[in-house]
Amino acid sequence: MRRWAAVFVCVALVFGVAAGCARKSGAPGVEAPKIKRLVFGLGSEPARLDPQDATDNPSYMATEHIYEKLVDFDEKMDIHPKLAESWEVKDEGLTWVFHLKKGVKFHDGTPFDAQAVKANFDRVLNPDNKLARHGLYAPYVDRVEAPDEFTVVFRLKQPFGALLAHLAHSAGGIISPAALEKYGKDIARNPVGTGPFKFKEWAPGDHITLVRNEEYWGTKPKLDELVFRPIPEGASRVMALETGEVDVAYPVPATEVERLKGNPGLKVVVTPTLRVIYVGIKVTQKPFDNVKVRQALNYAVDKKAIVDTVLRGLAQVADSPLSPLTWGYSPTYTYAYDPEKAKQLLQEAGVKPGTRVKLWTPEGRYLMDRQTAEVVQNNLQAVGLEVDFQKWEWAAYLDELDKKQESPYELFLLGWAPSTGDADWGLRPLLGTDMADNNALYSNPGLDKMLADAAAESDRAKRKALYADIQKLIMDEAPWIFLHVMHQTVGIRQGVEGVFISPLEMIMFHAADKQ
Amino acid sequence: MTQYAARRLLLLIPILIGVSVVVFLLVHLIPGDPARVLAGQEATREDIEAIRHRLGLDAPLHLQYFRFAAGLAGGDLGESIRTGRPVVEELRVRWPVTIRLTVCALVVMILLGVPAGIISATRPNSVFDNTSMMAALVGVSMPVFWLGLMLMLLFAYYLRLLPTAGSTTWKHFVLPALTLGLSSSAILARLTRSSMLEVMGQDFVRTAHAKGLAERVVIYKHALRNALIPVVTVVGLEFGSLLGGAVLTETVFTINGMGRYMVLSIGFRDYPVVQGAVLIFALGFVLVNLVVDLTYAVVDPRIRYR
Repeated sequence: MRRWAAVFVCVALVFGVAAGCARKSGAPGVEAPKIKRLVFGLGSEPARLDPQDATDNPSYMATEHIYEKLVDFDEKMDIHPKLAESWEVKDEGLTWVFHLKKGVKFHDGTPFDAQAVKANFDRVLNPDNKLARHGLYAPYVDRVEAPDEFTVVFRLKQPFGALLAHLAHSAGGIISPAALEKYGKDIARNPVGTGPFKFKEWAPGDHITLVRNEEYWGTKPKLDELVFRPIPEGASRVMALETGEVDVAYPVPATEVERLKGNPGLKVVVTPTLRVIYVGIKVTQKPFDNVKVRQALNYAVDKKAIVDTVLRGLAQVADSPLSPLTWGYSPTYTYAYDPEKAKQLLQEAGVKPGTRVKLWTPEGRYLMDRQTAEVVQNNLQAVGLEVDFQKWEWAAYLDELDKKQESPYELFLLGWAPSTGDADWGLRPLLGTDMADNNALYSNPGLDKMLADAAAESDRAKRKALYADIQKLIMDEAPWIFLHVMHQTVGIRQGVEGVFISPLEMIMFHAADKQ
Repeated sequence: MTQYAARRLLLLIPILIGVSVVVFLLVHLIPGDPARVLAGQEATREDIEAIRHRLGLDAPLHLQYFRFAAGLAGGDLGESIRTGRPVVEELRVRWPVTIRLTVCALVVMILLGVPAGIISATRPNSVFDNTSMMAALVGVSMPVFWLGLMLMLLFAYYLRLLPTAGSTTWKHFVLPALTLGLSSSAILARLTRSSMLEVMGQDFVRTAHAKGLAERVVIYKHALRNALIPVVTVVGLEFGSLLGGAVLTETVFTINGMGRYMVLSIGFRDYPVVQGAVLIFALGFVLVNLVVDLTYAVVDPRIRYR
């Protein structure tokens, strides 16, 4: 009898839990008809909504709606006023004075003023706070002063022409000092800014909901709610777009683009980014110390074939180490696909056919990265090199490349997108002597000097001319095999308008509307 | 039996300590630096060093383990490297989701597998037997990932009956539970069939028939109960593999459970999260095994625990 009771309890338990599965929880899914809610399906969940401590694009896509910066980028990556109405440069570029917009309030009702700006920069500049974006400001900004309610003065350590770009970076979003006081480091879960959307809720792993800021000082958003929904699996993300569970999906996997174009219910928008994909060359390694060999590698690779076949047109062949949308870009030239010339240069440099070279690539980090590297491998073998190919998981890859001289890498595929949108950040970290991301180990005192001069120049026209020379020099020196500028793909359902696709690989909904 | 259960529960402590050492070493020995991943590709060396120091990753490995173990003893799994939130809180949201998915899949597996096995066994070589065993073979061979996408395509995309992604309502669990439960039910069906066939050929079943018992009584009261022992074992083992299968299923269906979270965290080298999640999986696995062992005694009176 006792045994039957036990069996009964077991069965009851199973059905009890099964009924539990069927219990409906009160989370979103069914929407009230009159609320204008846009659901954005993105590839990864934001990590922390603290602009000064975030490093991932998903976080910044959310903070861009909650926070505002002193200045901002427009579609063409030009800089225009936001919370600062105007500014002037003094003391030969050492002092920048910003005049702030009046009558702006944070979401918690406290006023936005010069003290708020100072409090924000004091926070990020203080090394003890160990914020992830300390390095974006600390090397250049000495201190920030607030002489009156609506004037902020930035005192620099040395003249720095890209200051505006660093202030327009998402990390420059101004946080309510009262909220910083209240939440401390939990501000990352309770963001309070001045932006057009206010934070409503965050269900970890499921969604983040923002609502319209009714008190917003500028044009109020048309959407009532904006929901960020992470869907890491590409195929699932696309299917959610097709069924209407999400209104906008990003990114759309390259393999799905053609198919989706045939779907009348949605459109796929392809736009260029700031990201340049290249194969770095460890120039300290023989035979790559010889510029002829590096140029030969560039001639050997069929860039156009990579763009047309592997990337299905979702990229453009690079004609500079910078993307055309990066501020300071000027076109130089492209190494033509010329295997004969490559062979000849290799011969002149004394590289014997059958010489072994290592080619490494991450897999799944950039659009078709491994496949791209495979074409490079084929091309290099076609001019007589013997290529040892190795693909890597991203975290392990970064770790190995960080070892620089101690690691045996030779040719390595990487991409870089300057998140400030400025040429300085697009070139100096990668090619300046001894910089953290200079995996090519390229060192040229002439280039270092040119980069320093261009960074210090605060006249934008003069700066641009300096960068034109720099790009030409880098192209000639060929520390990389220059490949392509990556494009991004966004799926948008019919009836959704006004989505802004930033070349910084961010999607924004400030002006978006949904029928 | 209470004594036995208590002894088994006490054994949990050394097991968990062992698991904590192994998982700690594993995550710390795989190449990749969490500070580097967190700091982002654009970070300066100083940024990375600062983050490494903040996370305590610059301390010697054994010291890091003792910190982790000390926290563990106090029920503290540390903070997520990526989000800065306590791991306990991050996992608290997610483990019930995985348990719910796994139990739903278990129900699918039992409800489909056991009856299919019994019917096949009682009508060997019938059309039903051949079809269901063929289906079972297909079921076992299908990768969970592919099956999930196919079910999604059919029910969510073409028929629009169920949602594709998420884990907020019961509808979200139907396809994932089917995906996860189907292939296991195939294993269970084949096992139930063979176990039943074996028992049906034994003397006591012939006796039962001989004394004129109804077929139904013979099958369900006499044969099935004796055939259940291996079935219970496999259900228990399958529970473990369902937990593991949840990793894939959760990824395909964007279910906010432990499996998907753990895999994403490995990519970020979020050590505390991976350690916490593996420990909880281990705990779940051990507890399920204990329950299986105790169930034997319920199903088969000849088994006694001391």
